[in-house]
Amino acid sequence: MIRVSGLTKKYGDRTVVDQVSFELEPGTVTGFLGPNGAGKTTTMRMITGLVPNSGGQALVAGKPYTELPNPGAVMGTLLDAGAVHPGRTGRMHLRLLASALGVPVARADEMLELVGLADAAGRRIGGYSLGMRQRLGIAAALLADPPVLMFDEPANGLDPEGIRWMRDLLRGHAARGGTVLLSSHILSEVEHTVDRLLVIGAGRIVADGPIHELLAGDGTVVRALDPVALSGVLRVAGLDATMQPDGAVLVHGAAPERIGGLAAANGLVLTDLRPADRGLEDLFFQLTDAS
Amino acid sequence: MSTTFAPDVIPANSIARRTGPSFPALTGLEIRKSLSTRSGKTVAALAVLIGPLGVLIATLGSAGGVVPAAMAIGIIGMLIALVLLALGVLSTAGEWTHKSVQTTYLLVPQRNRVLAAKATAMGLLGLVLAALGVGLAVGTLALVTPGVVWFAATQAVIAVIAAGAAFAVIGAGIGAAIGNSAAAMTGTYLTFLGILPIISTVKPGFAAKVDPAASIQELAQHGPSVTPIAVITSWVIVSTVAGMVITRRRSVA
Repeated sequence: MIRVSGLTKKYGDRTVVDQVSFELEPGTVTGFLGPNGAGKTTTMRMITGLVPNSGGQALVAGKPYTELPNPGAVMGTLLDAGAVHPGRTGRMHLRLLASALGVPVARADEMLELVGLADAAGRRIGGYSLGMRQRLGIAAALLADPPVLMFDEPANGLDPEGIRWMRDLLRGHAARGGTVLLSSHILSEVEHTVDRLLVIGAGRIVADGPIHELLAGDGTVVRALDPVALSGVLRVAGLDATMQPDGAVLVHGAAPERIGGLAAANGLVLTDLRPADRGLEDLFFQLTDAS
Repeated sequence: MSTTFAPDVIPANSIARRTGPSFPALTGLEIRKSLSTRSGKTVAALAVLIGPLGVLIATLGSAGGVVPAAMAIGIIGMLIALVLLALGVLSTAGEWTHKSVQTTYLLVPQRNRVLAAKATAMGLLGLVLAALGVGLAVGTLALVTPGVVWFAATQAVIAVIAAGAAFAVIGAGIGAAIGNSAAAMTGTYLTFLGILPIISTVKPGFAAKVDPAASIQELAQHGPSVTPIAVITSWVIVSTVAGMVITRRRSVA
C-alpha cells in the first residue's frame, strides 16, 4: 500500500534523506526507527507531500498522496499532535475534519468515545494534555476508517494504559488487513507492536526486515540442572560457552539442535533451550551507531 | 452515455466520500473554520459592531451641525474594512502559526484550491459582515445623529460592502504569504495605519494610487472611479497571488 523508491531530500548541500526505499504490505505493522535527525519525520512528510522531495517517489495505494481523490480516506496520518487550533473544541475539530472527508458528522463523537475523550469533547484543545492531543490526533486519523495508518511518535505523552490501547488498536488494524507505519522512540513498545522494522540512520535505511529475523542472534541460550557439567561438555565439543550471571549458558555459533544433542548424549537434563535473541535496543544502537 | 467509475484506491466499503470536497463545500468549511474559534468570532462581531459604536461615539462627541452620510459611511467603512483585514489574516496565517495547516493539507493537498476557497470564504464573509456592520451603522446614524444629509448614501453603502469583502481577501493573501499571525498582523497594520498615512501626508498624489483604505473613502464620497477601484483590485490580486506562490513552495513543518 505504501511504496517508497529512492526518496531523497536535500537542503542545499545537506542530504537529510538519501535514496530511501521500502514497500509496506497490507496486514503488517512496520516500525520506523532511527535517532533524532535521522530522517524519519522528513520521510513521512515527503510521503504525504507536506515537504517537497528532491528526488525519488512515494506512492500510497499506487498514487502520489497528493493525487489521491480523498487522501484522508486512504491514509490516516498523525504527524504532530500539536498541529491543531487550540481555540477549537475537540468535537469541533473532528467535525470540521469529518466535513472535509465526507464522513457522517456523528462519526466525530464515535471516535471521541473510541479514544476516550468523550468527556473532554466540549473542551478547547488548548487545555488538553499531550496525551489527550495524541488521542485526538489518532481519532482524526481514524475518522474515515482508512486502510493505511501512518503515525509519527504516537505514544508520546500516553500513559501505560494508553500505550497498551494504541498497541491493540494498531495490531487490530493490521489483523483486519490494514497497513501501519509507526515511528517511535519507545523501543520496548515497538518491539511488542510491529511485525517488521525499518531502521534509518543518517538519512539512509540501514535495516529492513521482519523483526524476528533482525533480532535473532547467532547463538543459543541453554539452562541445565547442572550448568557446570553442561559448560564442560560444550567446551570439550569446541564450543564457545559462557556462563551468565543468571545461571544460563550462552553458546555462540551453535544452533539449539546441536546443544540439545550434546546434552542428551551426556545425560544432562536441560530446563531451557532457545535461540539467543538480541534486544531491540542493542540492535538499534548497533545499526544506528554504524551509520 | 458515459459512466464514471469511482477511483479504486478508496476501499469499496469506505464510509468516506470517494472524492475530495467540492469547491462550494470547501468554501463553506473555511467559513466554519474561521468562525469556530473565539478569535474568529470576536473579530467577526467587532466588524459588525464597530460601525454603530463609531457612530454613537462620534455623535456623543459632536458639536452638532450638518453630517454628510456618505462621508460618515466612508469613515465607518474604513474601520470595518480594517477589522475584516484581520479576519482574513487570521484565516490563513493562523493556520500556519497553530500548525493546523498540516491537517488542512493532509486532507486537501491541492494548496491553491484551499487558498482559493479561503479567499472566496473571506470574500463572502466580508460581504455579509460588512453589510451587517454598515446596515447597523446607517440605522444608528438615522436614529441618534441629528443633521444627517443622506445624499449619495446608497453608493457609499455599496462601496463599503464591496471594500469589506476585498479587505478580507487581501488579509487572507497577506496571511498566507507571511505564514505567521503575529508578523502578518503587525506588518499589515504598520503598513495600513503607519506607512501609508505618512506617505499620504508627504506625497498625497502617490498615496492616492497605493492606499486602499483611502480608496474606500474616495469611493464612498465620490462614487465609482478608476483609481480607487484599481488600487483595491491591485491589492487583492497582488496579495492573493503572493499568498498562493509562497504557500505552494513552503514546506509544512
